[in-house]
Amino acid sequence: MTKGTPDMTSPRPPAVEVRNLSKHYGDFVALRDVNVTIGAGEYFVLLGPSGGGKTTLLRTIGGFHRPTSGEVLLNGQSVGHLPPDKRPTTMVFQAYALFPHMTVTQNVGYGLKVAGLRKDKIAEKVDYALEQVGLSQFTHRKPHELSGGQQQRVQLARAIVLDRDILLLDEPLAALDAQLRKDMCLELKHLQEQVGITFIHVTHNQEEAMTVADRIALIANGNLVECGNARDIYRAPDKTFTASFVGENNMLSGKIATANGTSAIVDVAGARLSVDTRGLHVQDGQPVNLSIRSECVAIDHADAAADAHSIKGAYTESVYLGLTTSHLVRLPDGTEMISRVISDTDDGLPEAGAPLRVTWKPSDIRLHVE
Amino acid sequence: MNDYDNPLLHKLKWAYLLLVVTTLMTPVLYVMYVSFNANGFGANAYVFTLEWYGLIFSDELLIGALRWTFMLAVVVTVIAVPMALLAAKYYKSANNKLFPVFLLLAPLFVPPDILGSALLVFFKNLNLTFVWLGDLLGTTIFDSWFRLSFLTATIGLIIYTIPYSFVVILITMGRYRPEQTEAARACGANGWRAFWDIEFPQIRAGVFSACSFTVILVFNEYTRTSLLKGGFDTFTTVLISQMLNTGMSPQSYAMSALVSFIAIAVIGSIILFTMLRADSLSRTARAKAEPVMS
Amino acid sequence: MASPTTDVTDGGTLPVGTPPVTPWRDRLTPWVFRAPLVFMVMFFAIPMALTVVFSVFERTMFWMEPGFTLFSYENFFFSARLINFLDSMKYSLIAVAICFVLGFPIAVFIRKSVPQVAQHRVILLFILPFMVSEIIRVFALRPVLQRNGLVNSTLMDLGLIDEPITALLYSHTGVVIGEVLSFLPFIVFAGFLAMEAVPKYIFEVCDDLGVGPWRRFKDVILPLAAPGIFAGSVFIFVNGLGVALLPNILGGAGAVNAGLIATQAITALDFPLAMAVSAIMMATLMTLLWIGHKLFDLTKILSPLS
Repeated sequence: MTKGTPDMTSPRPPAVEVRNLSKHYGDFVALRDVNVTIGAGEYFVLLGPSGGGKTTLLRTIGGFHRPTSGEVLLNGQSVGHLPPDKRPTTMVFQAYALFPHMTVTQNVGYGLKVAGLRKDKIAEKVDYALEQVGLSQFTHRKPHELSGGQQQRVQLARAIVLDRDILLLDEPLAALDAQLRKDMCLELKHLQEQVGITFIHVTHNQEEAMTVADRIALIANGNLVECGNARDIYRAPDKTFTASFVGENNMLSGKIATANGTSAIVDVAGARLSVDTRGLHVQDGQPVNLSIRSECVAIDHADAAADAHSIKGAYTESVYLGLTTSHLVRLPDGTEMISRVISDTDDGLPEAGAPLRVTWKPSDIRLHVE
Repeated sequence: MNDYDNPLLHKLKWAYLLLVVTTLMTPVLYVMYVSFNANGFGANAYVFTLEWYGLIFSDELLIGALRWTFMLAVVVTVIAVPMALLAAKYYKSANNKLFPVFLLLAPLFVPPDILGSALLVFFKNLNLTFVWLGDLLGTTIFDSWFRLSFLTATIGLIIYTIPYSFVVILITMGRYRPEQTEAARACGANGWRAFWDIEFPQIRAGVFSACSFTVILVFNEYTRTSLLKGGFDTFTTVLISQMLNTGMSPQSYAMSALVSFIAIAVIGSIILFTMLRADSLSRTARAKAEPVMS
Repeated sequence: MASPTTDVTDGGTLPVGTPPVTPWRDRLTPWVFRAPLVFMVMFFAIPMALTVVFSVFERTMFWMEPGFTLFSYENFFFSARLINFLDSMKYSLIAVAICFVLGFPIAVFIRKSVPQVAQHRVILLFILPFMVSEIIRVFALRPVLQRNGLVNSTLMDLGLIDEPITALLYSHTGVVIGEVLSFLPFIVFAGFLAMEAVPKYIFEVCDDLGVGPWRRFKDVILPLAAPGIFAGSVFIFVNGLGVALLPNILGGAGAVNAGLIATQAITALDFPLAMAVSAIMMATLMTLLWIGHKLFDLTKILSPLS
């Protein structure tokens, strides 16, 4: 079953290339001029809020929707208006997509039966696929006799048994409970490494996305907002939306006071903050956004020295979350900032309304211009 | 039943329900009862006999009518049920649902005599139009088109039965998840194959019920058939003309009872079958699923 | 490993950017699904609409010829037929009311107190009488309701009456009894579908708020189930007007409804009159459905189906 390790430098065309894709439903624009390239053997995640268009993009790649304009290339060839069964893709659905009148074996073997394979060959492949997803003892069960997690494993087996190049997963874990979802995430990741084909996975859950993804594309309001490696999306988001959707970021809005080449001074809630411009072009007086992840924010005494990497505020309350505790601080302009620290002790919490200073390292704050 | 319902009241409600069903069935049951009496209706003494049933099967006219009825039922079913299936598929995917649903359910609301009369005059006019067309072209091949016949009766009965099949099939389709068709497409099946392998087995019960409904409806129908049939006779038309001409004879009791027996047997066995099947399915499912879920 | 993408190569050879060529089969497919609708338009909608046209044709000895005359309508509206028609409307309404009172509580009971899985089977019980030919059921009422029939002889045996009740048959009462017994299952079906709009928790909420059964029915169930109840009632009303068999077999003098007028006209070879009656019936039906649609949005009935 080895398909060769993912090799991005080979002349092999990208698994999926989406060019200027738009999809309209009457007046509603589900996708707007989307461009994305997904390499062969990648685990690619489409992440975004519900109704943002990520599922529409996935289903257009799979051939379940026709694009209004633009095109989809699979393995370098335009698939035009080919129906799903004529594409090198296969799909794992959210739920309910197992054939209820067939056993696990029949479900998994169905695609091979359609392809006209010999019976013994089908049995062999089905056994192997079920072994890969750890369901060998459940072969004669009907779908309603399986738990939710097992049902999704059957779907996975049914998809990988076809040896298609590209596996599309439409919120495959959404119907599962939190613990099971975590376990299944890792299994998905290992399965993808094992079979080596391209996985494209749609989810609205960022933890799930971080666990499995090589690369992530953020999709919201029909736009592809940002695309990059999972770590970069988390640590160094480019767009305001990315910062607000991924991780727990403090968003500050302000105006450029002075821009001088590589760094800029931004007026935020009565403070002047210094930030790296990351090569973005900014002008004096331009409104901008700043983001700092909550775990990078620390709380200091109110009388600590003021600098360009801290801001004054008043303590509001703390929220104990088990592993971490979030301290909420209100800035003079009403913005709330969160400082998240590993929970150790409840002692020495400031009183509500106590003035204090919020600080961070210069490298942790990011500038966003839209 | 809820835990705090009055159990006596609950039983009374059930009793009322069954009473209504029995009342609805009473005339039929009474006809069955009379049909086994050697002395016929209204006699003081009751002597059990099968004599009247014997008379039915020795009646040439009736046997011929039965044959026509059977053919009509089969032809109408073979055409109407697939059409209802197509219509239900269309309805599911249609954007504007009002038009198809109106068109397919309206025949339910049109009384038999009105539908029959309207179609009768329509077909007569259509036939005259074709005859006139044939005269213009100097041919007689159109002359028999839409003359009252097996064809016109079939069309009328399709119009009559399609709403029932449509509703029955639509109800069974309601439980089908369209994701399964998409999954089958993702497995490489084309549209037709996905329907046949995945969707059809799950709506088969609905399609079969629609078939038996259609057969029974056609078998029982009198008004539309008698208006549109042309030359031949069906079971009900023979029965009714006998009743209207000579009143209820012992033989017509036997005939009525016979059709009722058949209809009740068919529907009754469907009810029993679905009940038993659903019971056994849910029992095995529960037994198997429980260890998994825990 | 064999390439799994053999399917794609032939499709993938489409040059980038060419407009897709739809094969004839793909273009034909949507029409296959529309075929039933085309059939219904040709053999149902058009014939029903043409009744209006044929109703103004001139009557000839055995048939009719194109023309324009309102004679058939005069014939209907300025004769005993109108009285009969209005009378049959009255009795049909009575039948609707009786059916509703007897049948709708059954639908509520099935939805409320019968376990979900068994509900459809209980409904099937009401299909059972419906599966026996309507004409046989109606004819079978004769021996039941006759002077020496089942009802009278039972009542006399019980000593409840001394004289047989003769008004049960060959009278308006007989027709109403026939209508109720023929159409009662329909109000149960329609009510059952309509009660889909009333979620089961409504009953618990009402119990919780201390709402009594009558207020619950009036303020909650009735408004929610109105579209279905209306559709069922229209069905019974129109069939009460249109099924000729009922007055023909069970009715006495003056029990003539629209269906009977139409079939009698056909027998008398007065085709324009039959068409006029059909057109009037269709107009009545359409008006009722239109009013119902304006009042309750009848498409709601079908929401459980889609």
